[in-house]
Amino acid sequence: MAEIIVKYDNKVIERIVTEKKRLSIGRSRDNDIVLENRGVSRKHAIIEFNNNAAVVIDNESLNGTFVNNRKITEEILRNDDTITVGKYSLVYHTETSQEHDGGADFDGTMVLKTKQQKQLLENDKIEKQIVTKYGGSVLIGEENAEFSEFKIDRDVVTIGKAKFVHVRAKGFFISGIQAKISKENMSFVLTNLGKKGKTLVNGEPISQCNLKNGDIITVGKSTFKFIEGTN
Amino acid sequence: MKYALLSDIHGNLEALQAVLRDTEAQGVGTIHCLGDVIGYGADPIACLELVQQHCDVKLMGNHEYAAIGLSSTEHYNEAAQVATDWTRKQLTDHELDIINGFEMKHTIDDVLLVHSSPYDPDRWHYILTPAAAAQAFANLDERICFFGHSHLPQIYAEQDEGLPRCQAGHDFLPDEEGRYLINVGSVGQPRDEDPRACYLVFDTEESEVNYHRVEYDIEMTQRKMARASMPQMLISRLRLGR
Repeated sequence: MAEIIVKYDNKVIERIVTEKKRLSIGRSRDNDIVLENRGVSRKHAIIEFNNNAAVVIDNESLNGTFVNNRKITEEILRNDDTITVGKYSLVYHTETSQEHDGGADFDGTMVLKTKQQKQLLENDKIEKQIVTKYGGSVLIGEENAEFSEFKIDRDVVTIGKAKFVHVRAKGFFISGIQAKISKENMSFVLTNLGKKGKTLVNGEPISQCNLKNGDIITVGKSTFKFIEGTN
Repeated sequence: MKYALLSDIHGNLEALQAVLRDTEAQGVGTIHCLGDVIGYGADPIACLELVQQHCDVKLMGNHEYAAIGLSSTEHYNEAAQVATDWTRKQLTDHELDIINGFEMKHTIDDVLLVHSSPYDPDRWHYILTPAAAAQAFANLDERICFFGHSHLPQIYAEQDEGLPRCQAGHDFLPDEEGRYLINVGSVGQPRDEDPRACYLVFDTEESEVNYHRVEYDIEMTQRKMARASMPQMLISRLRLGR
């Protein structure tokens, strides 16, 4: 039984326990989770439950749906994930919590103020401009990167600490070629090649994965954000 | 048009003054009071005077009703009884005249203002559950009812099927086709674990509800209550917001 804690300004305003297969979120009254405020579209997003998995899907909303601070179109939810819709945050729990009303018990829950929300949307706008500028997918250097933007304009892009790789990463415990991004069909696949260190996507070690817009790739001390092009 | 809705001031002058200053800062021209100006706090007379001076609509609360002898305080807890008895002794004919001018409920277009509940407003029912809200909706002709009494900022939204949905009070835009019962919270004795004074602003043009929380000098209020020998429980709860 899933549980959604609805918060506004860090205050719990509603607790929803559901066994439904689908929950709609939006401003109009016929939604399962009604969020009556600016910044929320009439039919903003839905959460679909399938066995024990839950997916949140943005319904082409005007102001976007965010999961843990990242704008999404579709995202698998993990326990304690925070979905942000307008000024509201919805904390997803895979099981019903024991606490019924303790606003203070939700430590670490991100709450977006309007300013932060604006910042997120601003970042999103900048990313769109970058994609438009390069006409395809791009890596953005976030930390310890030798570039701010790197266009992925070849079939294989290598990442590591060797001098000849396309994307240089820093850190002692990484290999010369630690990872590669290869274009397969219409998507980009990140593969870990190094024996020494690990390649992380959104903090989780991977051996291979399809990259999604906004994914954060970490190799050693360097982090890069993958921005998917429109091609 | 924007109007501010204040309820459950309960003789807390510092909280009321802070809220009145805040309404000015918010550019709110009209203020309505939903009752219980007195009771519990040490400044019933000053609060009644300020409400009389600043508020357009002034509604009767159960504490005013008891003060003018229209209901007994037998069912009140001991602390509330002590406070009510003390308050009654402070009031002169002048204040009783002010209270006599208070209304039981007031309608503005499709909005009802009442202290406790749209049904039997002089029975002082509490709306604290979706079932109680369902009964209130059944007796509500208007689209929105603003009320107080429980000191808990809450929003009940009528559903097409089933019991009303309850959310804690927060800024929101009521749906044009929806019906709502909205508790404006308490100025002088909040009980939602936030000790700041609570009031609400309703913007009729934007159809927008905004709750405001205002800091005030709680220590000063507590000192005055102690000087008036109010029960310690009533003094302590202000700091806790319970």
